[in-house]
Amino acid sequence: MVKYVVRRAFQMIPVFIGVTLILFVLRAPGVLPGDPVRMITGERAISDALREQIIQKHALDQPLYRQYVLYVSNILKGDLGESFQRGRPVLDILADKFPNTLRLAVAGIIIEAIIGVTAGIISAVRQYSFLDVLVTLSTSILVSVPVFWLGMLFQIFFGIKLKEWTGGTFYLPISQMSSANFPDWVHIILPAITLASVSTAYVARIMRSQMLESMGQDYIRTAEAKGLTRRAVTFRHALKNALIPVVTFVGIDFGVMMGGAILTETVFSWPGVGREIFLAVGQRDWPIVMGGVIVIVFLVMIINLLVDLSYALLDPRIRYGGGAE
Amino acid sequence: MPALLEVKNLATHFTTRDGIVKAVDGVSFTLEQGKILAVVGESGSGKSVTALSIMRLVAEPQGRIVSGEVLFKGDDVLKMNDSQVRELRGDRIAMIFQDPMTSLNPVFRVGRQIGESLVLHKGMSRKEAFERAAELLDMVGIPHPRERARDYPHQFSGGMRQRAMIAMALACDPDILIADEPTTALDVTIQAQILELMMEMQERTGAAIIIITHDLGVVADMADDVMVMYAGKQVEYGTSDQVFYRPLHPYTWGLLASLPRHDVDEKGALRPIAGQPPSLINVPSGCAFHPRCPHARGLCSADAPELIDANSGHLAACHISPDERLLLQPPGRGGGVR
Repeated sequence: MVKYVVRRAFQMIPVFIGVTLILFVLRAPGVLPGDPVRMITGERAISDALREQIIQKHALDQPLYRQYVLYVSNILKGDLGESFQRGRPVLDILADKFPNTLRLAVAGIIIEAIIGVTAGIISAVRQYSFLDVLVTLSTSILVSVPVFWLGMLFQIFFGIKLKEWTGGTFYLPISQMSSANFPDWVHIILPAITLASVSTAYVARIMRSQMLESMGQDYIRTAEAKGLTRRAVTFRHALKNALIPVVTFVGIDFGVMMGGAILTETVFSWPGVGREIFLAVGQRDWPIVMGGVIVIVFLVMIINLLVDLSYALLDPRIRYGGGAE
Repeated sequence: MPALLEVKNLATHFTTRDGIVKAVDGVSFTLEQGKILAVVGESGSGKSVTALSIMRLVAEPQGRIVSGEVLFKGDDVLKMNDSQVRELRGDRIAMIFQDPMTSLNPVFRVGRQIGESLVLHKGMSRKEAFERAAELLDMVGIPHPRERARDYPHQFSGGMRQRAMIAMALACDPDILIADEPTTALDVTIQAQILELMMEMQERTGAAIIIITHDLGVVADMADDVMVMYAGKQVEYGTSDQVFYRPLHPYTWGLLASLPRHDVDEKGALRPIAGQPPSLINVPSGCAFHPRCPHARGLCSADAPELIDANSGHLAACHISPDERLLLQPPGRGGGVR
């Protein structure tokens, strides 16, 4: 087990090098338009002395590979650089935004897991029933709805139309700024549903197909032959087997959400990591973009590892690094 | 006193896209306390569906028991409500399936799976049931049973899994044990061990056994009675001696002739029955076996033969007259069979 974790940790090294290299090359002079000094100073005119100072500070006169080595060694020291526009360390900026992203991700994953798994089970247990058709049809539609469009629809319906129709007695806030007379957590409902929408549909579909497959297995007949009730057979014997792939999907998705939901956060002006990166791209604030992407990659890798380890808890056939078989 | 199990005119049909499959079409037999009945036939002859029908485990709604009675100690299983049937399953009638690799749930410990029916039927706690499961594993010859009970199925070999399945089936001390091709998925050496174990357990618990197989050799020494099935119907039924030494039906002759013999050196001369098992949607007219029967005559394709008692409880469904059978010299046998 420890061996396995160490081996996986080593596998992260090439990913890390690859990601940083790609990011670094992208911002190198000549690849993207823009003079690096101009990116930092913006449009205002600067003296040659200041220009020289900026070049010195960011080591822009060094050969490219030196700049890369410097950048990577700074990252390893926990220094993601300083924002061009804001003059603050990137790590501080991301750390400020991260709790918001985390809150949204947790809310999203709860919705995804509960609604997705429940819908999938109902759909499988009552195959070809009205509910099954409803789930199958609505998930097919949902997976193809763009997140930003769904977010806007929600805003228009729950935040504006509903407010008009009910004279302001019932509606949902569409961003934290839009209303002060709601408890804090209510603001998260619409963004969380939007963020979870596509994944919830996938979870329901995976759950349904896994459940159906699992219920057709020989061991289900064995369980029935023991005299177990339909309910015990379904929820004890079939469900535990069917959940294994679903847990993987939800786990990996949580990693992705933690990295910030750029579309959802932007549509709902949610002050998270994703929106910060989106804004930084517009401003060509490269340290934030690079730092943000590196943090996301790192989080996704860690979560993937945790998901793989949690596998062993659900599926006894999987044991890492020796032990039984 | 009513017989332990009496099946009367059982018929189970499946609705498929191509039509109705008469998987079991009028099967009747009686099983007495402590006896072993072998049900023999090729794939698709309705053996397994007969067994599943007795336990009412036929997959609905495609499969449906359309007629007949299954009397367990005089009570018709087919008329019971779901909870009454569940009380029988695993407690009074238990079942072992063909493939021990897939019949155990991969995500639960073997001991827990064995103990599950004890919790359900005997009201034991999970812990008591686990203890008892270890004893049962010991009984079926698994070494270090207490540790092995904590293992998962993938940590067991095929033979061990089938032993665990037997332990599971015997957990509640059932009256009837139905074994659906219990050795088909196992190595030949393991097959013998498993059959031996089943005999031993039968002696110990006194349970009656229905063993389903496509291999007559497997059951020769074991069974008290033999039922031969073809295309969902019984074609022959009798004691083991009757069926092995004086087989009446040409299909049984074919089955016996196709057994590999170890006492005669025939240089690879396996003699399979010509042709294919019939489609159960378009069963041949008359006697379903007539297209493959070397002794078929005009009457056979026109008229389905009745199951007739030829000699003290030895039943056969065939138009060939008893006198003619003697002339045809069917390959009755005994000693040479495995």
